Order: sequence, then structure tokens, then C-alpha cells
Amino acid sequence: MNRTAILWRVASVLVAASFIAAWQLVADLRLVSPVFLPGPDRAWAALVRGFSSGDLAGKLIGTLEHMAYGWLAASIAGIALGALIGSSRTMRAYVAPSLEFLRPLPVSAIIPVAIAMLGLTQGMALFVIAFGAIWPIMLATVHGFAAVEPRLYEVARSLQMSRAAIIGKIALPSALPDILAGMRLSLTVALILSVVCEILAGLDGLGHWVLLSARAFRSADLFAGVILLGATGYVTSIAMSLVEQRLLAWQTAAR
Amino acid sequence: MSVVAKLDEARAARRQKTLIAFNAATLRLGGKTIIENLDLQVRPGEFLCIVGASGCGKTTALRLAAGLYRPTSGAVTFDGEEITEPRREVAIVFQDYGKALLPWRTAAGNISLALEASRVPARERGARIEALLRKVGLPGHADKYPTEMSGGMQQRLQIARCLAQEPTTLLMDEPFGALDAMTRQGLQDEVLSLTEASQTTVIFVTHDLDEAIYLGDRVIGLLPHPGRIGIELDVDLPRPRDQLATREHPEFLRLRRQLFDFIKATEH
Repeated sequence: MNRTAILWRVASVLVAASFIAAWQLVADLRLVSPVFLPGPDRAWAALVRGFSSGDLAGKLIGTLEHMAYGWLAASIAGIALGALIGSSRTMRAYVAPSLEFLRPLPVSAIIPVAIAMLGLTQGMALFVIAFGAIWPIMLATVHGFAAVEPRLYEVARSLQMSRAAIIGKIALPSALPDILAGMRLSLTVALILSVVCEILAGLDGLGHWVLLSARAFRSADLFAGVILLGATGYVTSIAMSLVEQRLLAWQTAAR
Repeated sequence: MSVVAKLDEARAARRQKTLIAFNAATLRLGGKTIIENLDLQVRPGEFLCIVGASGCGKTTALRLAAGLYRPTSGAVTFDGEEITEPRREVAIVFQDYGKALLPWRTAAGNISLALEASRVPARERGARIEALLRKVGLPGHADKYPTEMSGGMQQRLQIARCLAQEPTTLLMDEPFGALDAMTRQGLQDEVLSLTEASQTTVIFVTHDLDEAIYLGDRVIGLLPHPGRIGIELDVDLPRPRDQLATREHPEFLRLRRQLFDFIKATEH
């Protein structure tokens, strides 16, 4: 890392620190009632207390599970469907209008439908999260498969590669940058929907914890949950970046 | 009989035969006739160059021989058999090397693609890849990505991948069109030595008339709209060819003149 990069890093840490300091100041001066706004000190204490009693760890795992299962299901189905649609021109022509109708549909709107059909169950949560998270992945995969360099297909033909080999060795790696970008977007969607499902269906997780803390006016616990949710989003996004960097090392090789 | 005489006889016998034949091949695409009634025989081991003004269908002729297109009428045969799809013993070197290489695979990985397609066992691939890279003058570049290589190096890499197919025939579509003059001459000589050593049959499409005469045993000039043969020249220049001596040879200059006059006439 060079000097300017270090300076930027230091500056970003300072911004975060001053934000926390301002928060502490507002809380200490009681500009907002402590019933609604705990200072970072109380939020941190609640966080530590929650983990030492084991409650919060359980909730965190619950949310992570919802998010992971939904996201993985969305990834598998999204890549498979996207590959199917993207690799065929006729399929694209037939399916694209339906996709355009379904895609902008707010997923929260289908939650009541899902609850009516599947009940307040883990299955319902899995369905809703996967349904919401599939769009960015599927549309990115469709685009990625449609944009494969036609010359490469001719190379594959002249090498008499099998259909499976063409998909695995040409189309999929070529579409991978698009697919990974879609999966990154879906990660956020999956987290949001996990929390929404937990709140609406009372499933075990941080969403439920946040809701109960708010109802009981335990503002410190509420903030502890919110902080954990933020951290979850941040950490999963960083993990995704690392995976991307590793898988797409060839893109940065030339620059 | 001496060895030389025997070789000469073998060569003469081969000349009689035909490896690739266009029999009244016609190709229409989108209502336009690209190639009409093309009759052309390519002998085994021959280096045939095809030239012509742009839009005369020279690349299309090559794609017919590759099996990437099928003729609307007539036939294109390989060893007496109709070409219906690309075959492994026929390798194609595309002009746009940047698009024909897999950017996510290293040089070694790109060559490996052809070996994988030919079901070469994994443990044999490493040595084969190394030998091929050395053959095309890229030793020590195995771990580079195509985007880290110059245009000339990328085209060498594509040629190495084609050689990995162990082809009996190479179809080359303006392979050096995008390269600078020095790189181009170096690659011309390398292609000559590679194909002469293995008696590979080559169909080489180019718009560079000097290049066609320098490389070829025979040069075909196509006429445009629709593409058909306009001129056929046998190149009786001594081999091995030499960038200076061959290009100064009176016969070279005579053929060059003839070909230039032909192309000029087609452009009006």
C-alpha cells in the first residue's frame, strides 16, 4: 500500500470515529430521550451482554442461516435458469417480457401470498428470500451468457467440444464477472428479506430480536441488533469481494 | 533409387491427390450470393494462398473448408468426404486472436483447452504444452494471461493451440493482418518452417499480395460479387524461402506484378 492509500484509510477510520463520537455526544446531552436512543457505550455493553448470555449469538446464527440458505438457493436456481435463458436466443425472446413483469415486483408484496400458501414457517422464509434474491443473479447470468464472444463458440466447434464442456469451459467462465456482480447485489437483498421475514413471521433471528427489543423499550438491545445487522452486511460483502478478486484475477492481470 | 529421388516421387504422387475439394460450391446468405460455383482442389501438403479485394468471399471460402458454413449447393469435401462440421484434424487460426483466446486462461491454459478436447490425459499435458510453447517461440510465458501479451505473442499462442490439435490441415484467416511488419515477417517464416516440417496442408487467406506469393505454392485470386476464381498462379520459387532473396527474385517480382494488375482490374 502506498502513502496516499494509507492516508485514505486513516481518514475513513477518522470519519467513522467522529460519527461515533457525535452519537455519544447527542446521547450524553440527552438531545434524544435515552429510552429511544442509547449512546454507543450502552449499545456496546448490550452487545457484549447479549453475546455472553448466548442469546444474541443464537439470533445472529438464525439470521445468517436464513440469509445463506435463501441466497444459495437463489444462486443455484438463478445461474441455472439464467444459463438456460441466456444461451438461447429464442428463449430470451419468449421469456424476457415475463421477466420484465416479475422483476420490478416488490418482493414484500408476495410475502402475504407466501404466508398464505406456506404458513409462518422456515420454508416460507426460504421461498421469499430466494425469490427476492434470484433476480439480480438470474438477470446478470442471462446477460453474461448472451454476451459470450461468438468467436469462442467457433473455437469450441472447431475443437469439437461437447455441449457440457462448452458451457463449463467457455460460457460459464465468460459470464462469471456478471454472475458474481449479481450475487453480490443479491447478498444485500437476502439480508434485508431475512430480517423482514423474521419480523413478520416471528422466526428466530436478529429481525425478531430487534422487534421484541423495540416493543419492550430496550433501546440498547435494539441498537445492538442493528449494529450486528450492519456488521453482517459489511462482512459478507467483504468476503464476496475477496472471492471475486480470487476468481477474477485474470481481469486485473493486464492492468 | 536415391533418397532424394524417392522423396521427389512421393511428393509427385501426393500432388496427384486432392485433400480438400470445392465442387461447384455456392453459398447464399440472406439473399446474397457470397460465393458462386467455386471449383478448387487443394493437394495434401500444399500451401495455398487466397487473395482478393475485400468482400470477394475469401474468408467465406475458408469457413466453408472449415465446416463453419455449409454450401447452399455444390459440395466441399475433405479426403473425399463431405464436410458437414469442423473436424479435429483441421485447425483454424482466426485473424482476431484477441477474441479467439480465452482471457481467463493463461497461455498454458489456452493450449490445454485443445488438449482437453482431444482427451489427452492430464499428466501428459504439461510436457506437451511446454513443447508447443517452445515451438512457437513463447518459452517461459506459460503463466501469462493473453492480455499481458503483445499481439504477435497472442497470435503465436493461438497457433500453438491449433498445433495442439495435431492438425493435418491449417486454415489461416488473415492471421497476420493486425500485426506490424517486423512481427509479421518473423511469423511468416515460423509458419513456413512449422508446416514444412510436418507436411501440413495450409489454406492461407490474406489481402497482402507479397505475403501470398512469399508463402504459397499456389495463389488464387478471387473476383467479388459473387466470389469466384479470377486468377490462379503457381509459385515456383525455391524453398526454403528467404525474406530478402525470395522477395528480390525476378520470378517473385513477375508474379507480384501479375497479381497487382489483377487486383487493380477487379477494383473497378
